Amino acid sequence: MDVSSLIKDETILLSLAAVDKKDCIGRMAERLLQAGCITDLPAYVQAVEEREAAGSTGIGFGVAIPHGKSSGVKRPGLAFARLREPIEWDSLDGQPVSLVFMIAVPEHQAGNEHLQILAALSRKLMHDEFRQQLQASDSATAIVQLLHE
Amino acid sequence: MKKLLAVTACPTGIAHTYMAAEALQKAAQDKQVPLKVETRGAVGVENELTEEEIGAAHAIIIAAATDVDEARFQGKPVIKASLAEAIKDAPKLIDQALAQQASESDYISQVEKAKTERKARQSGPYKHLMNGVSFMIPLVVAGGLIIALSFLFGIEAFKEEGSLAAALMQIGGSSAFALMVPVLAGYIAYSIADKPGLAPGLVGGMLASSTGAGFLGGILAGFLAGYIARFLRDAIRLPRNLEGLKPVLIIPFLATLVVGLLMIYVIGSPVKAVMDGMTAWLTGLSGTNAMLLGLLLGAMMAFDMGGPVNKAAYTFATGLLASNIFEPMAAVMAAGMTPPLGLWLATLLAPRKYTAEEREAGKAAGVLGISFITEGAIPFAAADPIRVIPSIMVGSAVTGALSMLFGAALRAPHGGIFVLAIPHAVSNVLLYALAIAIGTVITALLVNLLKKKS
Repeated sequence: MDVSSLIKDETILLSLAAVDKKDCIGRMAERLLQAGCITDLPAYVQAVEEREAAGSTGIGFGVAIPHGKSSGVKRPGLAFARLREPIEWDSLDGQPVSLVFMIAVPEHQAGNEHLQILAALSRKLMHDEFRQQLQASDSATAIVQLLHE
Repeated sequence: MKKLLAVTACPTGIAHTYMAAEALQKAAQDKQVPLKVETRGAVGVENELTEEEIGAAHAIIIAAATDVDEARFQGKPVIKASLAEAIKDAPKLIDQALAQQASESDYISQVEKAKTERKARQSGPYKHLMNGVSFMIPLVVAGGLIIALSFLFGIEAFKEEGSLAAALMQIGGSSAFALMVPVLAGYIAYSIADKPGLAPGLVGGMLASSTGAGFLGGILAGFLAGYIARFLRDAIRLPRNLEGLKPVLIIPFLATLVVGLLMIYVIGSPVKAVMDGMTAWLTGLSGTNAMLLGLLLGAMMAFDMGGPVNKAAYTFATGLLASNIFEPMAAVMAAGMTPPLGLWLATLLAPRKYTAEEREAGKAAGVLGISFITEGAIPFAAADPIRVIPSIMVGSAVTGALSMLFGAALRAPHGGIFVLAIPHAVSNVLLYALAIAIGTVITALLVNLLKKKS
């Protein structure tokens, strides 16, 4: 899948020390703001939190995929965080989360490209090797490369 | 090779639909089982399963958190699981799906499907003819069996006026059988021209009967009536306020007049001559010639198992009942029973040449065989036409020939083994049963000889 236009070095956090879910979402959203994907941080964070309230995006295997569609988003973006300490995410399998992919989508995004990216990402996440490689990668470039494969 | 299908779905459909799909695909790949997964997520339906794929599938796994339309999987084993189960334990679901047995109802529904598909493919004159035949058959069945009841009192008993035997003969012979050709013609025309075709068709068929043109004349009358009525419907243009008169007055009147006159002055006599000649030939038929006819009719019955060639032989034999010729009917029914029966026997004789599924299917084929549903052989023939079709043709041809040789006569056009139990419906019933048994055994031995060990 072509994620190179979505994910930038500054939206990749290889060792994030987040205390909880809310903290993690906020910290990752800040990076999307720095990368220029988001213009209105509180609006985007609110959209993500509303989505979490509707149903946890902790999909199991220690992975969460929070996402939000908001007018506070200028262009689609993807952030990745590897957590120093696993945190609770109300995951379906009850396990804490240590890998987080966050997606930002503009309100008036035509089509459902982001859904296809999430679908493709979900398929990849089912493979042990992929998750292990995410855990083992030591640079942002390596992560981008891994997603790109 | 067993092929599996799966459907994964959830109402939000962001991630789990695809995770479950991937998990199933991964597990199937590890087990080297072909699997296609339809995903119904937020992106919409992707990888949608086609009807052919469903038909060819061994079983279907549904992993969903929402309702999935299951009607399309009717007759197939379906395994239901939650998305979480599919994600966590996909290999177990694959194993479960592989362990499913194709049920007997599954086999019968396959046969049903093949029949409906054929019907949908029928077109033009063949479809019209089959429509007429299908309306005629109940009359022939009722008439034939009631005549057989009359024979219970003795073959000549109906000649005594006022007796029950005479009444039965009046119902079956002079009423039900007399309606055969008119109804055949009427419903051929009805299929072509709709309601306005029925009256000219019925009348044309009646005239075919009374002029001695028999079922051949009836078929001609039906087509004539139908096409004439349709032509009149399309050709006559009336002012709108008179248009209502067309279907109830103008078309029936003109079409019936034209068909009637044609039947009496043009078609009746030459077709009668053909029918008389054929009747005389068939009545006098014995020995080698009778066997050849049986051989041909038998092979036709098995050739396409309910298709046009089979129906041609069947229609020929059924039509002859109206001319009191009963031997070809016996040959045709016997030959139509042996293909599924022979395949059933084949799975019993050499179980190792067949998969567990095919052995189950064999039992169902046996039931269809004794009921004279030749289509019961189709799933076997479709799976291995080069070995199966020649085998069943040889078996049916032998049965047809033997039935003719034994002089077996059948008064009802359907019923399979169940009419054998009705006294006088079949003459020479023991030899007739022997003919069926011999064809069944030949079919089974040939199929097993040709089949390699699987």
